[in-house]
Amino acid sequence: MDSSRSKLTWSLIVIVGFLTLCPVLMLFLGSFSQGLTAFGHFTTAKYAAAYTDPALPGVVVNTIIFVLGSTVLATGLALILAYLNTRTDIPCKPLFKVLSIVPMMIPHLLFSVSWALLLNPSNGLLNAFLKDVFSLHSAPFNIYSLWGMVLVEGLLNMPIAYLIIAPAMASFDVALEESSRVFGAGAWRTLIRVTLPVLRPAILAAFVLGIVRSLASYAVPRVLGMPGRVDVLATYLYQMIATGFAPDYGKAAALGMSVLAASIGLIVLYRALTAEGGKFVTISGRGYRPAVIELKRARTPLFIGISVLSFLMAVLPVAVLLYTSLVPYSMVPSARAFASMSWKHWIDVLQDPVSLLALKNSLFLAVVGATLGVLLSIFIAYVIVKIRTRASGLLESLSFLSFSFPGIVIGIGFMWFFVQTPLYATLTALLLAYIATYLPYGVRPLASAFVQVHAHLEESSLVCGASALTTMRRVIVPLLIPGIVSAWILMATMFVRELTVSVVLSRPGSEVLAVQILSFADDGLWGKLSALGIIMILISTALVLLATYTGTRFKAARATR
Amino acid sequence: MEIRIEGLTKSYVSEGKKVKALDGIDLTIPANEIFTLLGPSGCGKTTLLRCIVGLETPDEGEIRIGGDIVWSGKQGIAVPPEKRGLGMVFQTYAIWPHMSVFDNVAYPLQVRGERKDAIREKVAQTLRFVQLEGVETRSATRLSGGQQQRVALARALVAEPKVILFDEPLSNLDAKLREETRKVLRSFLSKLDITAVYVTHDRVEALALSDSIAVMRAGHIIERGSPQKIYFDADHRFVADFIGRANLVQATVREQQADATVVECALGAIRCQRRDVSAGDQVTLCIRPEFMHLTGAGGDTPPGQNVISGRIETLDFVGEVYEAEVRIGGELLLARVDPDVRVAQGDSVSFALAPAHCLLVSA
Repeated sequence: MDSSRSKLTWSLIVIVGFLTLCPVLMLFLGSFSQGLTAFGHFTTAKYAAAYTDPALPGVVVNTIIFVLGSTVLATGLALILAYLNTRTDIPCKPLFKVLSIVPMMIPHLLFSVSWALLLNPSNGLLNAFLKDVFSLHSAPFNIYSLWGMVLVEGLLNMPIAYLIIAPAMASFDVALEESSRVFGAGAWRTLIRVTLPVLRPAILAAFVLGIVRSLASYAVPRVLGMPGRVDVLATYLYQMIATGFAPDYGKAAALGMSVLAASIGLIVLYRALTAEGGKFVTISGRGYRPAVIELKRARTPLFIGISVLSFLMAVLPVAVLLYTSLVPYSMVPSARAFASMSWKHWIDVLQDPVSLLALKNSLFLAVVGATLGVLLSIFIAYVIVKIRTRASGLLESLSFLSFSFPGIVIGIGFMWFFVQTPLYATLTALLLAYIATYLPYGVRPLASAFVQVHAHLEESSLVCGASALTTMRRVIVPLLIPGIVSAWILMATMFVRELTVSVVLSRPGSEVLAVQILSFADDGLWGKLSALGIIMILISTALVLLATYTGTRFKAARATR
Repeated sequence: MEIRIEGLTKSYVSEGKKVKALDGIDLTIPANEIFTLLGPSGCGKTTLLRCIVGLETPDEGEIRIGGDIVWSGKQGIAVPPEKRGLGMVFQTYAIWPHMSVFDNVAYPLQVRGERKDAIREKVAQTLRFVQLEGVETRSATRLSGGQQQRVALARALVAEPKVILFDEPLSNLDAKLREETRKVLRSFLSKLDITAVYVTHDRVEALALSDSIAVMRAGHIIERGSPQKIYFDADHRFVADFIGRANLVQATVREQQADATVVECALGAIRCQRRDVSAGDQVTLCIRPEFMHLTGAGGDTPPGQNVISGRIETLDFVGEVYEAEVRIGGELLLARVDPDVRVAQGDSVSFALAPAHCLLVSA
């Protein structure tokens, strides 16, 4: 039994090691070689070229402002929301749940596009509306700026920070705060001196994760930064390899190494913070309900603020896209606009062979990729949770590594690998890269599902006389099903919307939805873009709703028995 | 069925150090008894139980259940747990949350491939036996702790095993329910011809439930015997101290008499239960607080009893008795005083000690 277990562990290490280390290694080798198709002899010329580029300092400054600004915004908003939801009597609490899953349904690319449609300086809907109303000469807002990017990225990353901070705040032992109040500290001082310091690991973890994600972010800088010539590292790297410019993969790899190193360093920090989190946050006894803080007069204004935020995040983007997909060209909503509405853009898109191919490819990648990814994740999670050896620790680190991968950089690494193989420009190349990049999204829900299957549940079945196979079929798999379903749907949603890896690896014939949407944006075909975007949102939303539905159905099935 | 264990050894590596969880255990568990493995946490009792049921693999030795070897290092026999035909109640109950009460209990019969109507009948019968009728269709995890415990018991009993094993099954219940369940469990088990092996660290549970107790420490069985033997006549200092409250006093053997051994200690000369020791040996004298009887001022002590005198230093009311710390000849002894006896802190008092309750234990 032990030898078959270690065989399983090591074969998984080989598979996952290939998936996650191959792009890193290829990126490393590539950064020291002469060209994409032939490595040539060892050279440091690409490093010299990349790091002495006169444009680099400006890009780095932009990146720092973009990353820190959006992360501060995301963490700050998340902290306020988490506090309001878990600790106060603010009404309409399900709203917070909606807020936290909205970016799952609306892909980052479309969220950015909708803000561009609203606030671009030439014909943004809101800008045009304000110009009309106040008879202004120029547009009051310009989303094509660093601050626009910070705002949109911050809103997009807020839910992730919320999902880290809110559980920590909910499990916070209120006695810590109450004792501070007893010893004479006011509510504000207690917040500063007790609550926030105790929650520090969760807040820091959310902050670090936000930095990693905005550093890797490509959709927002591409849609909002490039028109205003505001470059950050992700877009700067892409321009180096984009066909159209003079592609230089070696230079991109050389610069990408730094981005990757920074990302990996931050994820190591994140893991250390979350591992330590348990020590700080104390969980109060069962059935204990923390005292609810009455907001009194602040209740209504705060509720209005939350409602506006929800509207901005969930309703407005979809509404703008739907509106744009129906009107013939960009115009402020008016009687004339509504009169001229038609399904023209929808019909165009559904007759466009490239869009249909992209749709087909994305669905294929979502279904096949998520299925293969979940199968792999089941075995990985089993080894990580149930076989606790040094080798399984190595596997855990390997499978978590891709969590830190900036899509563009890792795409460049994969490019180097696939160019040497017949897989270049095929869907299989995208499939492998997707699974490698999004493996943690499958492993994590399954690992927590395995954790819930207490060893005694398995052992008692053996003692009852069931064989290992029967135990697997009757006890383990049924208990894992919710985890399997949520891992599958999480991976499938990620694959339907995938942009950053695809933008590097996709070639004519292997187009995917996000890349096709981006090419509509480049050509200014906003109507077609919106129609295809709504289709993408519908697929994502259907998957998320399916996940929620199966989740509650499983709970209900258990409850009624 | 009798369980016979010979030379059982099991060690594991923890934080770089090799720990012997079981160190050459020899043990025979008689058929149709409730046999308890008692000891502090980490003494190896759960490891021993898991070796018997087959969830853990020993390093060396042999285990026989009812004459059949189920594990032997020398002969290379290792019967997997599912082929040993035992019943077990886990500490966490291990009730499968995705199955109803019926399916949980029926499981051992289903995996044996019994007929459906036979299964239904046996499950109903077993649930009636554990007084848990009418909940068959409920989700097992929605029952109370005590009910879940009985589902686990029903599942362990339904296939009519000859041996049932319990791994601290009451430790997840609150104090009152634990006491009730213990009594119910005892009455259930005594109605069946079944060998029960019970693991606990709770001495009251062990004393109340068992026909025999084996006390374990650091991978060894220190002492075994009936609950009365373990409580009144422990041979080993560790056992005497673990099974109840005890005053332990260093003593030197003075002489052997026909019916008693006399020792010299800080309390003076004390006549004790007779043991095989010789004059001059160093021993430990063990006196339980409940056997120190306060004598009146007149001193009408029954003949043959020891009398010791001292001063009450502290007196705590704990409900049914006062607990007094009494300074006697330099030693501080714990004694139990009836609440209706009028004594106060600082009083001089005398206690009578029957030699039968003065234990000499090995160090």
